[in-house]
Amino acid sequence: MSFLPRLRRSLAAFAFTLVASSPALAQSDALVSTDWLEKNLENPKVRIVEVSVEPGLFERGHIPGAQNIVWHTDLVDTVERDIAKPEKFQALARKLGVDKDTTIVLYGDSNNWFAAWGAWVFDIYGLRDNVKLLDGGRKKWELEKRPVSTNPAAAKASTFTVAEPNRKLRARLADVVATVEKKSDARILDIRSPDEFSGKIIAPAGFQELALRAGHIPGSVNVPWGQAVNQADGTLKSPEELKKLYANVGIDGSKPVITTCRIGERSSHTWFILSRVLGYQVANYDGSWTEYGNVVGLPISNPAGTVWGGK
Amino acid sequence: MSISDDSGALDYHRAREIAAASGSPDAASAVLAVPPWRFAVATAVTLALATAIHLVGIHGEPATQLQLSLILGAAFGFVLQRSRFCFFCIWKDWLDRRDARGLLGIVTALAVGITGYTLIYGAWLPDPSGTRLPPTAHIGPVGPALVLGGLAFGAGMAISGSCISAHLYRLGEGSPTSPFALIGAVGGFILGFLSWNDLYLWSIVDSPVLWLPRHLGYGGALLASLALLAALAWLLLQTGRPVQEAQQPPSDPLVAVFTRRWPAWLGGLLVGLIGVAAYLRLLPLGVTAEIGSRSRQLATELQLLPSRLEGLDSFRGCATVIRDALLTPNGLFIGGVVLAAFAAALAAGEFKPKLPDTGHVLRGLIGGALLGWGTVIGLGCTVGTLLSGISAGALSGWVFGLALLLGTTVTLKLGRRLGLLG
Repeated sequence: MSFLPRLRRSLAAFAFTLVASSPALAQSDALVSTDWLEKNLENPKVRIVEVSVEPGLFERGHIPGAQNIVWHTDLVDTVERDIAKPEKFQALARKLGVDKDTTIVLYGDSNNWFAAWGAWVFDIYGLRDNVKLLDGGRKKWELEKRPVSTNPAAAKASTFTVAEPNRKLRARLADVVATVEKKSDARILDIRSPDEFSGKIIAPAGFQELALRAGHIPGSVNVPWGQAVNQADGTLKSPEELKKLYANVGIDGSKPVITTCRIGERSSHTWFILSRVLGYQVANYDGSWTEYGNVVGLPISNPAGTVWGGK
Repeated sequence: MSISDDSGALDYHRAREIAAASGSPDAASAVLAVPPWRFAVATAVTLALATAIHLVGIHGEPATQLQLSLILGAAFGFVLQRSRFCFFCIWKDWLDRRDARGLLGIVTALAVGITGYTLIYGAWLPDPSGTRLPPTAHIGPVGPALVLGGLAFGAGMAISGSCISAHLYRLGEGSPTSPFALIGAVGGFILGFLSWNDLYLWSIVDSPVLWLPRHLGYGGALLASLALLAALAWLLLQTGRPVQEAQQPPSDPLVAVFTRRWPAWLGGLLVGLIGVAAYLRLLPLGVTAEIGSRSRQLATELQLLPSRLEGLDSFRGCATVIRDALLTPNGLFIGGVVLAAFAAALAAGEFKPKLPDTGHVLRGLIGGALLGWGTVIGLGCTVGTLLSGISAGALSGWVFGLALLLGTTVTLKLGRRLGLLG
């Protein structure tokens, strides 16, 4: 072996040791940058997992070494309307080779919508501080012309043991109704579009899963989820900007927050920001409008005055 | 002497046979001699295609997918035209003259496709035994509706003289039937959407989606499929009649590529490779998604369709979801097919436009309607369901293929007996 490659290799190993010994170097607790991730692709303590909406996206090119989660079968119960049961999640986490001592980087398409949903489910089952989102997700990685790969990653299974589901992170209908009836001081943050919130439409065009009534949960406030994102590269706005954005509607962390949308998936994006970036106490209401707007006899606020979605 | 379809799509091969026997001026010449005007137009079309590819790569959204769709479409159109990869013509060659060459070409395409898909599957879904299917592969439900779809599609092929992919490349050859077949297909698509909900509830919803690698493993499915194809090839070689190849003087490579008809096995090899490339980088090969989606858009605008087509969009196959975009990958793909086939036909002297008569119009419209209906119910055509399905290891591909052969044979024989089809 000649000298130069050996030197290069040992330098690389040295750099690697530096990086590996401080896996969250220059990162916030909740996010990693594309730069950081590319430097840590070979780090054995880092597991990268893609959670995208579009089928086939992962297979045709993903961040090298990443594994795949199909959110609508892996992270949910496929019979009941529920997130994956503990045993199912444990099996998935073991297969992915993740545990409490690995840094888990989630990323995906559509500004990390489903990656954030993934982070929420991971959190419920006891994987919180070591779970990060790739800031900007697929979009930024591609914009920066970073490499993708189609090779499957070989992951050694872990022995992860699932924790008791953390109920504090998940709001159920009863929690929401308690808020509406002023028996709880939680604030409800609805992240749907203004037209859904006001009741002009029941859901954006093309969605099959609907409610029978349009409008929003009485007392909730509206900040469309996209306002938290820099549209150019899909990264999150700075914590200061985010704080201000939500403080404008009275969400400042002084009271517990419940995030909600149509089926609870876009709202997990905002849940992630409030919970992980700003450190507020937040629960995501995954029943969301398709549950609340369908329940008989619950009060609804509908400023647009629509009936059955029409006038 | 014309080898294009002078007297209707069904005479296509008869005309070609005559041309091959007597030798058209172009086919017989040993050096490439394209008349200046044809050369100029073919060059202009090629340059326009190249410019379009370039521009789509800059302005398209998403640029990579749109650009690659156009490139693969152009490659597909060129290969189809040069090797006359027309499923119906190939079947008729066999029925009428026991000429096995075309069928061996299809067997080649399927063998290449299955092998390539298996290679890709190994990377994308290392273990096939779970509940998951490889992403986007055309693996459809197998049941009575699929057989009906195949029978109708086969009948449509016999009546209109081609399947949909061949109508697209023959559009580039100036066929008088193909424009009407494609218009008829739009009507057939709409009829298909109208009957979808009933057929879905009657049969499709309960039909199993059978993916061979799940039951046999990748190795087992590959071996079984290749063994079946080898047996078919052996059977064809045993029962086929040797064909007198027209005596052709040795020629330079340009003539071999641009003027003479390519051997079917070469066409099959390239069709198989393009199918694998499309699956690797874009989506499984298919030529009906755009036509289907535009038909659905039209019918929705005209308020003809029920507000929900149950389950239709959840199946694998040539998706007909309405897209808002002006440029779609499949739209550019078939655009590339038509333009490249046009340029290839011009260079080869096979662009022979002809004014359609009533027979062309009627056969096109009626046959096209059956093609369209069969495509909706079968979730694809000879390319999307047969080629991409069999390549994907889907039982639906084989079943659709058998049904369409039956449909086309019966229709052709009956039509000839009644003196309606040539």
